[in-house]
Amino acid sequence: MTHSSFEAQVDAYLDGELAAVDARELEAHLAQCPECTRFRDGRLALRAAIATHVPTFQAPPALRERIRAAAQGRGRGSRRFAVRNWWRPLALAASLAVVALGSWSLAVQRAAGDRLTDELFASHIRSLMPGHLTDVVSSDQHTVKPWFNGRLDFSPPVFDFAGRGYPLLGGRLDYVDGRTVAALVYGRRQHVINVFLWPAAHGPTGGPNTRDRQGYHMTHWTTADYTYWVVSDLGLGELQDFAQLLRQADSNVQPVTAYPGYDRDRGPATDFALRVHLEVGP
Amino acid sequence: MESSELARFEAVVLPHLDAAYTLARYLTRNAHDAEDVVQDACLRALKYFDGFRGEEGTSARAWLLAIVRNNALSSVRRRSPDAVALEFDELQHSGGVADEHPEAALLRSDAKETLARALDRLAPEFREVIVLRELEGLSYKEISDVAGVPVGTVMSRLSRARARLREALT
Repeated sequence: MTHSSFEAQVDAYLDGELAAVDARELEAHLAQCPECTRFRDGRLALRAAIATHVPTFQAPPALRERIRAAAQGRGRGSRRFAVRNWWRPLALAASLAVVALGSWSLAVQRAAGDRLTDELFASHIRSLMPGHLTDVVSSDQHTVKPWFNGRLDFSPPVFDFAGRGYPLLGGRLDYVDGRTVAALVYGRRQHVINVFLWPAAHGPTGGPNTRDRQGYHMTHWTTADYTYWVVSDLGLGELQDFAQLLRQADSNVQPVTAYPGYDRDRGPATDFALRVHLEVGP
Repeated sequence: MESSELARFEAVVLPHLDAAYTLARYLTRNAHDAEDVVQDACLRALKYFDGFRGEEGTSARAWLLAIVRNNALSSVRRRSPDAVALEFDELQHSGGVADEHPEAALLRSDAKETLARALDRLAPEFREVIVLRELEGLSYKEISDVAGVPVGTVMSRLSRARARLREALT
């Protein structure tokens, strides 16, 4: 395949419309062609800009009402409504309404979920622009963590995994899902990993869930304390490896807040140690 | 229309009202016209709904948006009969600031106005593919159903539309 035909495929690739075999071929080409990579990044930036700046609209409520009324007007005018079977359409309408309500709430949830991943994706892309990656540049977790004091209404757990090949690069404030969140930045070779986190709503804990977004991977989980979103163009295997490190480190620390008897100088209480052993042990 | 059919209409078509209104807004460039277009389109959809069974894999969303699109385009033509599709003038607008980082330019504070203007200047066939893909997330197949063109044409229009938006922003 020629170079220019690869470029022509980038849009379809980012739209998720390229056949798997072509997508793999394109990915291999992107890995060794700076020109196509630049082209792809330009397209990604355009998408992020459209997602950020170009609004969708809500149909005015009055319009919705007029259409509903028109539809019901037609319903009343119908002569095919048989009195004998009066209950049938009602039963069907009721069951359809249940289905509609179900799929509506699903759709609303999914739309909210998509909006969040849109925002996170846009934030990740924006962070890659010159000068946007970090507000505090440090590989020292004891510098990065205090930097958030007074800037956030929570104190995010910060770890360094340089020993495992994921050095901490720094942190910054970001704005996601209508609130200010912590963004921690880690590196892996030339790749950037953004970890977004904020206090979890009092809901179920869960995850990790992974999803793909235009050549980027996102993984997401919720602990009792925090909601985590990790975004990177890193391969899925490495990203999951990193997420596992983070989850483990975090689960070792979190009980500290849950065990008021914990004494910082003397170390954790035995039940805490036992719990750590149970959680991270083989 | 039987009331079961009415319920089906409400369940199948009404969830796409926001998408319909958004498309109409971008095609007519006018809130008032957009309302008229969507209302007419829904009445038409109601009239022909008995015949809609989602044949040939056409989604209800694509079906409704196709009606909205045709209504919107004829409304625009009606309003200004001799308005030729206003094509983006590449010569006039390609002179950007050469040394600015293009990605940074996309996220400048004035990017919002620049992007809105550039989208506005696109010919309708380019504007609609951007709206349907980027804002509504339709698949190429659905866009092809809405615009009544082959998937290959959808693909090349999207590419050209994006190239023009990027030119405008850099």
